[in-house]
Formats: sequence, C-alpha cells, structure tokens
Amino acid sequence: MTNTAGATMARPRMSLGRTGSAQPDFDLPDYDLPGERLGDGLPALTPRIEIVPSRTQKRQRPKIAYAAVVVAGVLAIVVTQLMLSIGLSDGAYEISSLQQQQKELDRSNQVLTEQFDKLSSPQNLAASAESLGMVANSAPVYLRLSDGAVLGSPVAASGTATLTGGQALIPNSLLAAPMAASAAEAAAAAQAPSAPPATQQSTDVPWQGALPSPITQ
Amino acid sequence: MTAVASRSTKRRAAVAVFAVVAIVAVFVVRLITIQIVQADELNAASFDKFSAQTSTYGLRGDIVDNDGTVLATSVLRYDVTASPLSVAAFDRTAADGTVSTVTPDQAAAEIGAITGQTADQVLGILTADPTSNFAYVIRNIDVDAFRSIRDLQIPWLYYSSEPQRTYPNGAVAGSVVGFVGSDGSAQAGVEQLENECLAGSDGLETYQRGADGVAIPGTTETAVQAVQGGTAVLTLDSDLQWFAQQTLAARVQEVGGAWGTVVVQEVKTGKLLAVADYPSVDPNNVDATPAEDRGSIAFQAPFEPGSTFKALTAASVLDAGLANVGTQVEAPYIFTDPNGASTRDSEFHTDPLRLTFAGVIQESSNTGTAMLGELLSSEQRYDYMEKFHMTTPSEVGFPAESGGILAPWDQWDDQTNLTTTFGQGVSTTAIQIASLYQTLGNGGVRLPVQLVEGCRQADGTMTDVPDTTGQQVVSAQAANDTVNMLETVVTGGYAKADLQIPGYRVAAKTGTAQMSDGSGAYGDSYITSLAGLAPADDPQYVVSVTIAKPVTIESALAAAPVFQKVMSQVLKENRVLPSTEPAPDLPTTY
Repeated sequence: MTNTAGATMARPRMSLGRTGSAQPDFDLPDYDLPGERLGDGLPALTPRIEIVPSRTQKRQRPKIAYAAVVVAGVLAIVVTQLMLSIGLSDGAYEISSLQQQQKELDRSNQVLTEQFDKLSSPQNLAASAESLGMVANSAPVYLRLSDGAVLGSPVAASGTATLTGGQALIPNSLLAAPMAASAAEAAAAAQAPSAPPATQQSTDVPWQGALPSPITQ
Repeated sequence: MTAVASRSTKRRAAVAVFAVVAIVAVFVVRLITIQIVQADELNAASFDKFSAQTSTYGLRGDIVDNDGTVLATSVLRYDVTASPLSVAAFDRTAADGTVSTVTPDQAAAEIGAITGQTADQVLGILTADPTSNFAYVIRNIDVDAFRSIRDLQIPWLYYSSEPQRTYPNGAVAGSVVGFVGSDGSAQAGVEQLENECLAGSDGLETYQRGADGVAIPGTTETAVQAVQGGTAVLTLDSDLQWFAQQTLAARVQEVGGAWGTVVVQEVKTGKLLAVADYPSVDPNNVDATPAEDRGSIAFQAPFEPGSTFKALTAASVLDAGLANVGTQVEAPYIFTDPNGASTRDSEFHTDPLRLTFAGVIQESSNTGTAMLGELLSSEQRYDYMEKFHMTTPSEVGFPAESGGILAPWDQWDDQTNLTTTFGQGVSTTAIQIASLYQTLGNGGVRLPVQLVEGCRQADGTMTDVPDTTGQQVVSAQAANDTVNMLETVVTGGYAKADLQIPGYRVAAKTGTAQMSDGSGAYGDSYITSLAGLAPADDPQYVVSVTIAKPVTIESALAAAPVFQKVMSQVLKENRVLPSTEPAPDLPTTY
C-alpha cells in the first residue's frame, strides 16, 4: 500500500514488517511524567489518541467484496478448468467410439459396395435375365415423335434368342457363390406352378385399348 | 549469553546451512542431469510409452468405364495372426452374460468353420512352434469372415488389414484392365499404363494415448498425409465389352479357333468402346490363365491382316487421283509383274474378271488390287501406310503395344511390293485395323486412338486428357468413295447374308489371310477377319473382328456373324437411327 499521505500521517502506521505488533512506532510524548510530577494521588491519565483517517486512506482500506470477487474468480476458473478437462476427455472417448463406429460402417459399406458391383456385373445380369426367360431382340424399331414415323422393321425376337445361349463364357470368379445361389433359386422358381416359363408364352403381346400417344404437341 | 554458547550455536547453524546447501546441490545436479543431460533419451523413452502411430490408407484408385461402372477397385482384406505362445483356454462371455470356457481345440474348430480350414489345420498352425509369438492363422479374408472370427472373442488372435485389388466384373475387359501383383504393384494393362494416376500413398498419424489406448485430445499429428489414388476413366463400355467378349468366345469355340479379337471404335471421336480378346484373363484369378494368355491380343499381337488391308490401298489410290470407283481392271487368276513377282486370286477362274474398282473390292481380287495398287510407287504406298499409322503403335501406349511389322519400302523385295497391296507381308494389330476404318469413316481424318479418357483426381479435376487433334490422311472424297466401295461387299459379296443388318447400311471388308508358320513361310492356317462401318451413310462405329486358325470354317464367314451381332448391338445400344437413303448402286463389273 503506498501511502501518499505519509507526510501528514498522524496515525500509528502498521507496516507489514511489524504485523502483529500493536506498538506504535513512534515515541509517545511523556504525558505521564507531568502527571506523576503532578502526583497528588491522581491516577495517571493515558490519553486515548485516535487518528481520524483521511478520505484517501478510507478509500484505500481493502474491502471484503474485492476479496470475495477474487476468491470466487479463482474458484470459477478452477471449476471451469475442471469441467473443460472432463469435457475434453469425454470428447476423446466419444471421438474414439465414433471412429470405431465409422470404421465398422466403412466395413459394412465396403461389403455392400462389393456385393452391389458384383451383382451388377454383366455376367450376373445376363444370367439373371435368362433365368427369368428374357430374350434379346436385335431388330430395334424407333418411333420418331416429330412426325410419328416408324423407323426400322419390327421383327419379333425368337424365343431362343438369349444373350448367352446358356453358355456363360466370360468368367468372374467373384460370382461363383452367388451364381450357384441364383441358379438354385431359379430352379425352385421354375418348379413352382405359379411361375410358368416365359419362353413358352407367345411372343406377341396383345395390346388392350388405344395406342398411347404423346398428348403434348 | 556466554561466548561458548554463542560459538556452538554458530557452529550448529553452519552445519545446518551446509547440510541444506549440500542437499540442494544434490537436487540441482540431479535436476540438471534429468532435465538437460538425459533429456532427449528420457523424452524418447516416455514418448514410446504413451505415443502411438497409425497408418492411414491412401488407396489405389479405381478403374471405371465410360459410365462409371467400376472395373477395378481397392478393398480392405484382413489377416488373422495368433500368438502360439499364449494359446490357452479362455473364458467367453455370451450375449446373455453367461461365461463359458473355450479350449484351444474348440477355438480351432470354430475358426476353421469360418475360414474353411479343418480344425486340425488350424490347430497345426497354432501348435507348430509353441515358443513363437507370431503365426498367420489365415490371410486375406473378407469383412464378414473377419467379423465372425472377431466375435469369437479369442484373446490370442490379432487382426490387421491390408488393401487388395478386386475386379467386380471379372474377365470383362480383364485383358485390357490388367492386374496387380500380390504386393500391389501394377503388372499389366491399364493398371500398368495408368499406374502413376492410380497409385496412392499411405499416410502416418501419431498421437499420445491414455492408459486405455484412447487418444489424448489435441495430440494427434499427421506426420505424413495420405494421398488417395486417382480414378482412371476408360472409354470402354462394359456392357458392350461383355457382349463382344461373349459373342467372340462363343464363335471362336464354335469354329475351333485359336484366338480372336473384337475392337469397337467410335468413328467421330476415336474412342475405343470395346476391346475384346479371346482367351482373356480374369484379373481376380490370374493364376487360372496361362501366362501367355494374360495380355491383350488386340494391342500386343500383330498379324498379317489380309484383305481388310485392301481398303487402305483403295483409299491411297483414290486419294492420289490415279483411279476412281469405276476404273476398269481385267483381273486374271494369276498376275505376274514384269519383274517376275506374281500373285493369284484366292479362287480359281479361267477367264480374267472384268471388274471395276468397286468390283475388285467386292470380289476381293488380289490380282486386281495388286494391279491398282501398283499405280502408286512403293514409296508412295509406304507413305500412306505411315500416315495411316500402320508402322507405329497407337496413341494409347498400351504396355508392350505393338506397332505392327512393316519393312521400309526400299527394303521390300518384288514379292513384298505386290503382297503389301492386299495385306500380306505386312503385320498390323487389330487396333491399327480399327483405326484405319475409323479414318475412312471420318472423311479421311484419322483421330488418335483413345482408351483412357483421363485421370480423375480426388478433387474432381481431369488430368492426362489425351490429345484429340485429328490428321487428314486422305481426302474426304477418297474416304467416302472407299466406304461406298466397301458397302458393295455387304450388298453383294460372298458373305453378304452374314453381314447385313436389317434397316442399316453397312460397309465392311472380309479378310482371310494366310498365317505365317513362324519360320518365314506360310502355314496352312488362316486368320479370318472382318472390319467395317455402320451406318454406311454416316459412319458412327467401327467393328473389327479377327479369329485366328478357325477349323470348321476357313474363311471370313467364321468372323462375319460376330461382326453382325456386335455391330447390331452397338447400333441398338447407342440408339443409332436406321438408314433412310438407299445404298449407291456402284457397278462392279463391266
């Protein structure tokens, strides 16, 4: 504490170095002596001196509120720090578990992508189409919308015009297992009375109603 | 206070001070040793204790076709290793919380049931060297098997993952896509051609971990950034590729051929839509294919093309203005040059055939072609062949691609001088023949042959996009006239029934070439081929078919049905409208 009013100070100063000592650090004037000198059985008077603090000094006196703020602040910081640490390490575990989850999902994704790519390979599609009795028509016909002209000569595909003719000649070692499964399924489907082989049906599809035509002009 | 007492106090104080100083000194020295002298060593030791490294995968990129269908991709496969030293019975907690003890025998049986090994095999691996801490139980298992084994909760098993290459479409474009070795290095095909694009590099991350192995927040550092490989985008159409391979394979087997190729090229762009080889490799299972059948015949194997080469001679002569489609030739059975070299037609005829130029092409007369071809000097014809890229590999730069075999014109002997007009004495690849027909269909402008559209980087940009600048080889008139002459082969040639496609005008040329027996003479087997364009009125696609050494049919009729089927499929798949104008009626005889 800097004492700017030090020069006019009349109050006993309690320096830090003397904490605990209540002794004034200046010599009292010998009031007693005259008293003793006066004698006369009068009790010695110890004059009570109290120095009125100046306004400045009053302002400088530490207030309890400040201390409270500081202590509370420190506490708040400590608590915040603690919560932050807890949050961080919680986050670390969460990250770790999410990363693990992502790894598992990536694995699942890989399994499904592999399966998808495998099933959409031309070999598998052709085999599946054939097992459903589908045939290919190599005589495409086009309908030109601008004038309704039919381009090309329509020819019905023959019932035996399968793409592979039953011979899958392009190997795909990835398909070995699923192919067997689908073949078994196809065999089961063929035996089921509800699925008549498509190849026995007439290739002419009877049309019901008017021919569809574009309504926009 | 006495003097003695004062001295003893001082001495005690001195001893105390000395002791304190000494202890502090010891601490200071120790502190310096730890903090400065041994700092590096201790830091390293502690770092080892709590730091961990993980490698992040920079996977090899995909190879995709022109619509994004994946032809080659990288997947993770798993290795399961065991520590035989710690193999012992263990407790397993089931889902309902019950605990059971599992013996190594049981565990081995359970592993074997998943991996397809017998229990004895697995047990053999585990007990082969009981002092060892490492043994592979099984390698390269897929995710499902890995998860099943992991769920067995066997404490002495360890798992690691490794990227592997897989080819979802199997042998579709297998010989073009190529394959990688077991170490992941490119060995053939596009894998090798685009290796720089495809290759990724693994990264490295370090972090500090807590007692339970969880990363301490904020300590993760990327030491090496992983680089994902780019995607090589091909011009191939995988569906068409499959169709071409399937059709070719069926036909080669039917006629008892040795090998065959089908090349489909887009006339207006020079892009290869299909490059089918038979036999071909399934890159998923390279070992199943003999080593000599693992490459791409279309790119790598030159052969004497025979009559399909006559289109080049015709276009050259027409371009030089030395003849036109109506030029008349009397083609004898045997034609003898003044210098003594002679050649003959494939079929005997007593009287000379009175043919126009178009008729020479339709009849595929060797003598007629030789006579017309000789209107040009050897040097001029060689120059045309060079301009048609018959002497250099295509722009694709396929690994081990052949550029054909053709001696410079000044080294030709008299016989070669004659035979090069009709495609003997010169070897080309199937790709070069397709490119020849592309040039004719495109008004004489040869476009660079394209197999790879480019390399798509992780950020979506395309790099390595090939140059598409064309080169005018012959005049548009000469090219169109040649196409019209080729059309007479389909309207009136011997293979017309097998070549016509209802609704479309087709221009094509048959070829039945004698095959070299490998020792400088011709053997008794043939290479049959067909190359052609459709629709002839506005050529869009080239299909070139080659079947070597057919047994049951020794003419281009062996290859013709493949041409017809593949061309039909190409036209259908690409929604090419049927031709509306009739074919020009070129006179073939006079």
